[in-house]
Order: sequence, then C-alpha cells, then structure tokens
Amino acid sequence: MSENDFYTPTDLDRLRMENELLAFEVRFLKARSGGPAEVSGSPISLSRMTHLEEAETDLKLLLRRIQNSPLGPVARTNRNFRTLIGRYLKRSPNVGSMSPTQRAAYFEGAERDLVLLLKRLGRGPLGVVFRGRKSFRTLQERYL
Amino acid sequence: MESISTNKADLPVFYAGRFLDRVADAGLLGDHAVLSDWDVLPAQLSAALERASAVVVLDMFSFPFESLVGDLQDVPLILLLPPQLDSGFLTTVFGQAAFARLGFFDRIAVRNTGLWENLRRRYNWAEGQRVEVEEDRPEHAAAEISAALEAESALHATFGDGDYEADRYWTERGDALAGGAPHRAVCSVNHSPRFNKAIHRVQTAALLPQFAAARGTQDEEVPFDVLEVGVGVGRWAASFDPAMTRFTGVDISEAMVQAARQNFPERRFDRLGDEQILPYGDESFDLSFSVTVMHHNPTPTKRALIAEMWRVTRPGGRLMFLEDFVSGGWSSKSTVYPMSVSKFAALLVEATAGQVVLEHMESVRYQHDDFTRGGLLSVSKLGVARTW
Repeated sequence: MSENDFYTPTDLDRLRMENELLAFEVRFLKARSGGPAEVSGSPISLSRMTHLEEAETDLKLLLRRIQNSPLGPVARTNRNFRTLIGRYLKRSPNVGSMSPTQRAAYFEGAERDLVLLLKRLGRGPLGVVFRGRKSFRTLQERYL
Repeated sequence: MESISTNKADLPVFYAGRFLDRVADAGLLGDHAVLSDWDVLPAQLSAALERASAVVVLDMFSFPFESLVGDLQDVPLILLLPPQLDSGFLTTVFGQAAFARLGFFDRIAVRNTGLWENLRRRYNWAEGQRVEVEEDRPEHAAAEISAALEAESALHATFGDGDYEADRYWTERGDALAGGAPHRAVCSVNHSPRFNKAIHRVQTAALLPQFAAARGTQDEEVPFDVLEVGVGVGRWAASFDPAMTRFTGVDISEAMVQAARQNFPERRFDRLGDEQILPYGDESFDLSFSVTVMHHNPTPTKRALIAEMWRVTRPGGRLMFLEDFVSGGWSSKSTVYPMSVSKFAALLVEATAGQVVLEHMESVRYQHDDFTRGGLLSVSKLGVARTW
C-alpha cells in the first residue's frame, strides 16, 4: 500500500474499516472497565490486537478459498496445508474462553502462519496464478 | 385566521405566532411556510417542521421551545429578539429555554447592537450568528430575514476545480465561502444548514465531555490553553468559556482565519504556513485538537500535523482527533484519504514516538449514515514538562 493509502475501498473494505473501528472501541471499553482486557490500553497494543485478529480472519478465508477451489484436492495432499486446515477450520479454538495471553499467542501464531502461507504460495509453481489475483496481492501488500 | 402553509420540503418555516396577520402580508420571498400560535401543538408543530430547512421565530413568547426534541433539534433556529426589552429581562425569560440551546448553526435577528453585544458575550455566540435587521417589528424583520435566506440559498460558489489537492482546495473553499456561507465553508459544502447542524450536534455530544475531561480538576483560575488545528471559521471556539480558556485556532485559509477573527474577536486565530509548522512554542497548550481535518489530508501531512500538535502540547495535556475512519472509494476528486482507525493509531504512535497514552475512544455515528463512520480518539502526552 502506498504512503497515502491511495487504494479504492470497496464495500467490503468499508465494512472492514467499520468493523475495525467498532472492535477498537469495544477493546478500549473492556480495558477501561477492567473486564477481561486482553491487552493494556495503549494505542499500540489495541491496534496490534486488531491487526492480529484480522490476520486470523484473512487466514481462514484464504484457507477456505483454496480448499474450495479446483486446487483444493492438490493442496490437501500437502501435510502442512492439512495442518493449517485442522488448526484453523476443523478444530478452531473457542477464542472467547482463552486467557488474554493465550488469545494473543493464538492470534500471533495465526499471523505467522498466514505470512508463511502467503510466501509459499507466492513462490511456488502456481505463484504466477496467485499473484494474478487482486485479493491475493492485497493480502501480500497487507502482510508481507 | 388560518395559517398559511405548504407541503413542500426543505422550506424555511416562519413562526409568526400572534403576528400572523401582519406577517402574512409581509411579502416574504421564495417558497416558505408560515405558522401561527394555533400551530404549537406538538403533533402539528412536528409535522410542520419535519422537513423545515430553518425555523424563523418571530414571536418568541408563544413559541414552544420545549417541543424541539429528537430530530427537531437539528432544525436551525433564527430567533427575532422581541423589541424594547433589555438583555437582563431576555436572559431571565429565555435564557434556559432558548438561548442556552443555541449553537453555531442557529442565529439571532436583532437590530440593537448594544443588546446583541451583551448577549453575544454572555452566551459566547459568534458574530456571524447575528442577522442584522433594520426594523425589529415582526413583519419587517421577517421580510429582511426572508431576503437574507434567499440570497444564501442562491449563492453558487465555484472552487476546487481539478484533482483534489488539500492545501489548494481548502484555501479556495475558504475564499469562496467563509464570508457568505460559513456553514458550508466548515461542514458539508453541498448540504443544508439543517444537515450540517445535525452533524455538529453529534460531534458536540462526543466532544464536550472530553473537553471537560481534558480540563479535569485544573483550578478554574488557571487559564486553560486550547489549540484547534483546522479551525475554519471558529465553530468550536464557542465551546470554551473565554473567562477560563485561552482559545487559539489555526487554519490554512486566510479567509477562514479572517472570518474566525470576526466571529470571535476575543480569541486568537493564526494562519498555518505551507510547511505545517505550528507557529507556537513547545508545550504551549493543555489541549490540542482537530475535528474532521486529518482525513482530508494525505499521510505525510497527517504525520507532520500530529507531530506538531504533540510538540506544542504540554506533558499531561491532551490531543484529540475526531475523524472519519470509514471511507468510500477514493478518486482524484474525493476530498477524503481513507485511513482505518488502527492505521491512524499506528501513525499517532509513530509521529509521537509512542509518547502518548490512550485516554478515550468512541465511535461516532451520524444520523444520515447507515454505518458508523467517525471516531474520537483522545490521548494524553507523556513526559516531564521542560518549563514550569
């Protein structure tokens, strides 16, 4: 993304921005009310947590898309891919019941997995195909 | 006599009250509706004002101010002060009911300059809120106000041709509108005063408690130094009591600065240079804030302005930003640079080297929007004061 964020938000982006705004507010209110605050009340931690949650959502969406695409059967032959499917789609943990530390660790893990997956998909033999898709390029710009 | 009314939308409504006979023959210009004192029942009044662009109250004594609730609070008021009454009497009778609820988008029609000055100082009104009338009898004043409203609605200013470039656009917009249509200069340029008053009211509800929180427990005798960046014609200056606050505003448009000085002669307003360097020393203010300014500027300008606001704010003081964090599509004509709240928070941390703590955050939803668009961020500046 350029210095000025000169991208054209679609309705989906607008919804994402609104969701981010409301999530930011909820997290602030939780932190202020002394509830199960997963992070301290500083802007760094709040924005970081939002970013991590988004990464987990993006990872799930990406995995679902690959799984349901014509490439799905091929991808499922890869053990690492099956591990990710198991971790984030089949046995997705109940984040609400986790302690703040566990949640942060889970989301950070999801971000690491997403970065790794994007790098591998971009470099692999089908990298050209993936890079040809705008949504994939958006994810690359966002996380790599 | 029956009141004269029309069903047309977005018309000024003249509340003639007991003077209906006189006002009906006053030769009011343009489409309008006229109400009498028989039209003050809540349901009737509500229906009559549903789409009113403004309500001109020519008979304050019989107008039910208490009926203006809900969306009706967004209708801009123009009050004709009853003649031959002094400010003490008017304050006693209308102080709480009417004057205290007037905001930047409401106006007062008055002939007597001395009376206006007394009330303006007492209620912290802007000079631009005055509609100067030569005659304060209802029928004459109504004709004058009607002519003024017609002239305003006919104003078609051209500015900002070509691709959007923040400095040029806001300078040209100030030149075109600050004098003749200030509400369009500082708010939504294509919308009516009613629309802009509605936005202003939502923003006021979010900002005023935070202004009070920023002052905190500071002794009232200690002046509270406030800076607004992108002050426009000074609409937020009225939110601070001049007896306890030293308000300073800065804007890129010379025309806006001039209009702000006229509006609030007791306050200080300066022009911001092209380099986005605030013309004030380090740690000069207890509160620095901006309202819908950052999202009109590209990221480098945002970063520079935030860094400057942080520099001029005292340790322990507050920085506040009420901005749009949800935006539609960007184009070369769009005046908004999309930036999400997380990115803005990250930029805030970066521009201040992390020397801030989040004190308050709330989302702001405007009535006409089907999604939440705005957000208010308030942070306090960390550090130890260099000067005492």
